[in-house]
Amino acid sequence: NPAFFRSTLPVLPLLLVLSPVNASSCAMGNRTTEIRVKYENILSHDINELVNMSAEDRDKCCKNKINGNIKVFFCNDTEEIESLQSMACNMLRFYKKQRISKAFREKAAFVSCGTLQVLQCKCRTKKEK
Amino acid sequence: LLSMAQPGTVLSVFAMVLHTALGESGCTSADGDGTLGDDEPDNFDIDCFSQLEIKDSFSSLTCNFTELPPYNTNYTLLLCTKEDNNYACSNMKKREDVFFIQFIDILSNRDVCMYSEMKRRVCRSLVVTDIVKPEVPFAINITYEREANEYLIRYCTPHSRKKYLKDKLVHQVAYRQKEGTWKTIESPYLQIKLLGQNLENEASYEVKVRSQPNGYYFKGTWSEWSTSKSFRTAREQHSTENYSSVVMVILSILGFMLSLAMIALIVVFWENRIKPAVWPNLPDHKKTLEQLCKKPKNNFDTSFNPESFGYVHIHKVDGLWAKAELENFLQPSTAPETSLPEKFRSGSDLKMIPAMADKTNLNLPVSYEALHRLLGTSQRAATEGSCSSSTYEVCHSKRVPQHNDGFSLSSTCPLDPSGQPHPDPLNDNTVSQMLPNSDMRSPNNEEAYVTMSNFYKIQ
Repeated sequence: NPAFFRSTLPVLPLLLVLSPVNASSCAMGNRTTEIRVKYENILSHDINELVNMSAEDRDKCCKNKINGNIKVFFCNDTEEIESLQSMACNMLRFYKKQRISKAFREKAAFVSCGTLQVLQCKCRTKKEK
Repeated sequence: LLSMAQPGTVLSVFAMVLHTALGESGCTSADGDGTLGDDEPDNFDIDCFSQLEIKDSFSSLTCNFTELPPYNTNYTLLLCTKEDNNYACSNMKKREDVFFIQFIDILSNRDVCMYSEMKRRVCRSLVVTDIVKPEVPFAINITYEREANEYLIRYCTPHSRKKYLKDKLVHQVAYRQKEGTWKTIESPYLQIKLLGQNLENEASYEVKVRSQPNGYYFKGTWSEWSTSKSFRTAREQHSTENYSSVVMVILSILGFMLSLAMIALIVVFWENRIKPAVWPNLPDHKKTLEQLCKKPKNNFDTSFNPESFGYVHIHKVDGLWAKAELENFLQPSTAPETSLPEKFRSGSDLKMIPAMADKTNLNLPVSYEALHRLLGTSQRAATEGSCSSSTYEVCHSKRVPQHNDGFSLSSTCPLDPSGQPHPDPLNDNTVSQMLPNSDMRSPNNEEAYVTMSNFYKIQ
């Protein structure tokens, strides 16, 4: 009956709209205290080590300053978690860059994964995964 | 038919969507805790602890069974992490009766799963930062502070050079006397002090240390005890030595202050009291005599000049003469001009001559009052002219002095104008002994002078 298909056809788009959308790859809820204590006791020490290591290889990291991916690392107001998630996922992209020292890449990957773990976020693109 | 197909289709689609949504939320297991257990209870007892940064950036997990599974059962332990509905597990290495594994990520929530042939998998969740067991402290050093009588105990921990547990530990120090009971002290610092007064003197003690997370974020258990260190306490006399040293210091300060005070007193009283007492000034005999004698009146001429005694009979006393000879000496004498001793013939004699001519007015010193008495009071009455109390006239009287009962020079003390009595009063015998020389003018110049020493001899 063509009337049946006309009546059920909009259901699927409607269900797709109504179905739970995985818009945010981070866990929901107010986890400010948990994030803060994990950052202060664990993550901050690793970030400091990464900063010290990057200071030694400053020129290598910013070799191409004109076409530098500065926009990759940004922090929007009121979107701290999303900004941190984006930074961590973008930093994972440097893991395979052979120009950078292996120790630095491993440390950067460790900090990225730790950040995502603290935020309980995931990277969206398959490449970042 | 259409009315019956529409609800069925909607329900089927809805069921399909609901399954997908539940799958995204992770709630796929019946128990609801997110684990991928096979709906079997986690009835295995294991005891695990973690050690952070045990080797570079790697941390470790060590587990052992509190209740051993059946002997003939093959089992393995796995450390698993949930990732996107999947478990990422790693086998733990078996070392004798414990299972050990190293890893880097300490932020993720972990599960320890036992995999045996009998059961597929049984898991228990754990938080790595809540079962931390620190490393053993080392390098215990004991120093005795003599001044404070305290024992400073210092020690080290490997976590001082690491990231996570630095300044996040509490240390427990245990000490005891040999074969005695252990006493403990806890401190967040890497040193403590034991008071010497709480310890036995000259005794042997033993010390050991262990550590534990302070509990603010990291939690866990005590580490193993460190190697014991022995020391011997000091003797009790150290306290007395300190006391005696304090006493010595106080005495030194007091001695110094007394020395300064003595020096100041010496400087102040040197001229007035000390110097005259140590080096007294020898008295000048002339000044002393002047002080002894009374000050003459204004109209008196006090003089020791021999020329003033020109008209005074000078009696030289050679010895003690008898009274009978007294009259011989009271005979009128010749003119005194020819019998003037040679003394008076000097240049000063010219002064004496006019004085001698005037017999009525002859001023003699008060000290010769006794000489006047020696010549007798009748002489006073017999003299012609005025004879005042202040003048003496030499009268060449023939009468004997009426003083038979003797007289005392000490009553008037002519030789001592101050009025002090003389201890040896003269009697007639003495006078008679003196008189033989009363009118005698000594032919010698030296004998014509009456010196004070002669008067002292007469006395």
